[in-house]
Amino acid sequence: MDAPRTLRGMVRDLHLYVGLFLSPFVLVFAVSVFFLAHAWLPGGGERSPVRTVADVPIPEGFERLKGREQVLAARAILEHLGVGGEIGFVRYQPRERRISLPLSYPGRETTVELDLATRVARISSRPTGTADALVYLHKMPGPHNVAIRGNTTFMRVWRGLADATVYLLLFLSLSGVYLWALVRAERRAGLLMLLAGAGTMGGLIYAVVG
Amino acid sequence: MPSSAEVPVPEVRESRGAGLQRWNRRLHSYVGLYFLFFLWLFALTGLLLNHSEWSFAEFWPQRKVSTWEQSLQAPPAGSPIEEAKHLLAQLRLPGEIEWLAVAADPSRLVFRVVRPGLNHEVKYDRALARASIQRTEVNAWGVTRVLHTFTGVRVGDSRNQRDWIVTTAWVLAMDALAVGLIALVAGGLWLWWGDPRKRRSGLTVLGCGLLVCGAFIWGLRWFGAA
Repeated sequence: MDAPRTLRGMVRDLHLYVGLFLSPFVLVFAVSVFFLAHAWLPGGGERSPVRTVADVPIPEGFERLKGREQVLAARAILEHLGVGGEIGFVRYQPRERRISLPLSYPGRETTVELDLATRVARISSRPTGTADALVYLHKMPGPHNVAIRGNTTFMRVWRGLADATVYLLLFLSLSGVYLWALVRAERRAGLLMLLAGAGTMGGLIYAVVG
Repeated sequence: MPSSAEVPVPEVRESRGAGLQRWNRRLHSYVGLYFLFFLWLFALTGLLLNHSEWSFAEFWPQRKVSTWEQSLQAPPAGSPIEEAKHLLAQLRLPGEIEWLAVAADPSRLVFRVVRPGLNHEVKYDRALARASIQRTEVNAWGVTRVLHTFTGVRVGDSRNQRDWIVTTAWVLAMDALAVGLIALVAGGLWLWWGDPRKRRSGLTVLGCGLLVCGAFIWGLRWFGAA
């Protein structure tokens, strides 16, 4: 049965334009697979000299705060220090009365150490390279520290873009199947490829999961 | 009938280009169809990993834990990985070996053997030749999440190397999917460029995607300089 030319044309155009917009994002996720799957991260640079800031306004009881509340309080401190980035986690060392805050932007990590007793902050940062930036974007927002994840605008935006990539990829795959099915001459070969892929995946999952 | 000497050369060139584009379109189609289910698996599991708050996909609270002890034949002297493999062969537990914290007590061998959905933590007492095993089993949601990240290695973790051939096969599948996606992008770009009517509009759309993506990859790091 021939699909109406307008529907076929519309789906083909959508497949094209969605694919074009999405292709850089697909490349981010695809290229970062090689770094993640083989634990290999080229690039990166030297850590900057430590910058010390005294008289940091640390609110009383900061170390007893938890989750989002603590991150909000930390954000105010970081603004005073003039540093930014997604707070990975907040680690409190009670014996030393010290708080460590790793901050990240894709391609750069900054470490802030707050001495609660002396109210001194020690700050240093390091460029981590493009490979690490791709890996970071692939993994974020991720399943860890969910309560505090998205404590920066860029991470909240990236969370939306990562979700959109998945939904648009699903659209691309379904529209691609539709466009393939319209070409009668390619149906058999395409069906064989589909079955071969399903069989390969099924066999591998069976071997891995048992 | 015109002689072969009268056939204009530009027609031959055009049909070769059209032929290449036709093969490119077929390749784009067939590669996409082959990797369709792989793509759906990794895309949907990626969504699950980014949305731990989705209660329908909960798996950890529903895990099943059981423990038992078992006497085992002492493994022959060798590296920790060889000893662990010997013990696992006796226990009939296949999977990827994970070393946890460095054991402070050399008389004990402590490790975990992992496969998607099933973990066994093994604590072997060399003096008693006896192992305590804790088995943790999760539901299908847990299995699918682990499939997304099951590589046997982690960046920055030099203690754990891939040691199960099935993990290697799964990682090769991940690599193949990544190569397939890159090929789909490249083939798709070539298909688009082959249609002059769509070049301008396509360039605008592609440019938007590149701008947004590029801002995240290269633009944000300048904000972080201490």
